[in-house]
Amino acid sequence: MIWVTWRLQRAQLITMLGLLIAGAGVIALLRSNMLEDLASTGLASCVTRTLDECSPAGAAKAFAESWSTSFDVARAVIIGLPALVGVFVGAPLFARELEQGTHVLAFTQSVSRTRWMFGKLLVALVPALVVLIVLQSLVSWWLSAAGILGPFMNGPFTAFNFGIEHVSPVGYALFAFALGTFLGVATRRTLVAMTAGLAAFVVVRLALSGLVDRLVPAQRLEVAPDQPMTVHQDGSLVLGDGWLDAAGQPVSSDKAAALIQACKSTPAGTSNTQEGYLACLPQSGLAKRYADFIPESHAWQVHLVDASIFGGLALLLLAGTAWALRRQS
Amino acid sequence: MTGQRQADQALPVLARGLGKKYRRGWALREASLLIPKNRIVALVGPNGAGKSTLMGLVTGLLRPTTGEITVFGEHPTGKGLHPAVSYLAQQKPLYPQLTVAETLKLGARTNPTWDQRYAQYLIEQAAVPSGATVGTLSGGQRTRVALALALGKRPGLLLLDEPLADLDPLARETVLRTLITEARTQGITVVLSSHVLAELEGVCNHLVLLHKGRILLAGDVDRLGAGGTPLGQLALNRMREAAREDAA
Repeated sequence: MIWVTWRLQRAQLITMLGLLIAGAGVIALLRSNMLEDLASTGLASCVTRTLDECSPAGAAKAFAESWSTSFDVARAVIIGLPALVGVFVGAPLFARELEQGTHVLAFTQSVSRTRWMFGKLLVALVPALVVLIVLQSLVSWWLSAAGILGPFMNGPFTAFNFGIEHVSPVGYALFAFALGTFLGVATRRTLVAMTAGLAAFVVVRLALSGLVDRLVPAQRLEVAPDQPMTVHQDGSLVLGDGWLDAAGQPVSSDKAAALIQACKSTPAGTSNTQEGYLACLPQSGLAKRYADFIPESHAWQVHLVDASIFGGLALLLLAGTAWALRRQS
Repeated sequence: MTGQRQADQALPVLARGLGKKYRRGWALREASLLIPKNRIVALVGPNGAGKSTLMGLVTGLLRPTTGEITVFGEHPTGKGLHPAVSYLAQQKPLYPQLTVAETLKLGARTNPTWDQRYAQYLIEQAAVPSGATVGTLSGGQRTRVALALALGKRPGLLLLDEPLADLDPLARETVLRTLITEARTQGITVVLSSHVLAELEGVCNHLVLLHKGRILLAGDVDRLGAGGTPLGQLALNRMREAAREDAA
């Protein structure tokens, strides 16, 4: 059975291998070019420091300008790959057979439909995931080499960084693939499954992008009004922030804004001093600032939750595919 | 009682009150049918009489709306075809990108009862080049490859939906002769469907006549023809009768 499915999907597998080799070559080349660029401009030591310590400052800016497009394209490719897996690997897998009537040939051999389905799923999905994981790792290897001069400086939670890291791409790819196969079996039309699958994937992917943040327990940081809120700079994901009163209860943002505005001027009507302003805040009922956040070090938890949501949806869709294939018309 | 059940299990096809309704209407109604072993069955009826539907129900590709059907004592389900049944659909589905040899390999890999030597013999006999891609073959050659795939499984019941439709007269004769030899020597039951009774008249020894989803005639040819009427005339008379009943 595996031989049969391998033989039928051979052209597609060779194409994927070609893409993998070409992609890996391009990434390796870009990375070595970038390292040369860093060395020649004297920025190599900047990679591990903060941007302020970096000298010469103009060189860092020039580097960012010349490389940012490549970085963005690489990240967009990894973001887009799961959708391509769904459209070109998942959707035609069963739809083409149902459209051409060759499923009758498969259904009338001595192999159960379930085994036939699993054989096809395995031979299509595993190589696609391998291509995705290898390219994802290579892009990560390349972008990490740019350190704080590259896109990872913005932390793991920005949409473009989160979508290309850890298990998230695999989760998206599983979902897109399962969605494609299910729509293929349900509509029995390759083109319909490809287009509807792509649209549905994009919609669900965007709709669920905010959900995952709320499913991981957040930490709370409380600081005095004169202390800096470090979570806004250290790459953490800030879910909410504001002011607390003396009892530790959150103050509504409208009220807080009004009180802050009031403290900015003295009762006499002149502009308040910094000390006067900071002394005024606790007196008006704004004792502390707070922020609910997920630290950078917990990003892996968010990735796991994200991948399990999309993986769970994928399992449901695959069960639906199996049901539809075994149903007698 | 036990003897009866064992006899039922040995029967290639047994149907009681079988019916299939599509969205557009009934394709088969109240069909009760018994196909004994070692027969070459002609399943005859005009286009749209329900021949393909009946075959779909035997293979389990379709689910009956009413009644029940057993194939070698088992109800056909959506899990897969009964291992002793081979089916050649009207469209003769084959993967166009495979070569003939690869198509046989597919048969070998998906059927535990596969007889590679026999399948190769059938291909050689049909003079189909085994290195050729299926997509480049002529209609007749494709039929021969599909037949080799169906017979290579060494089935106990072989269902052929309009197998002769795209064959030239000479190839028809060869294919029919192959089928008869196979059926006689291996003791398999072959069901051939056609809308032309004449092309099967000298070959079959059992007839099932379908008309507008109903079985008009079913039985062994020597018994049906005992009155002296030729088979073709008999079938035509029954169909005229049915048409008159419909009109009335």
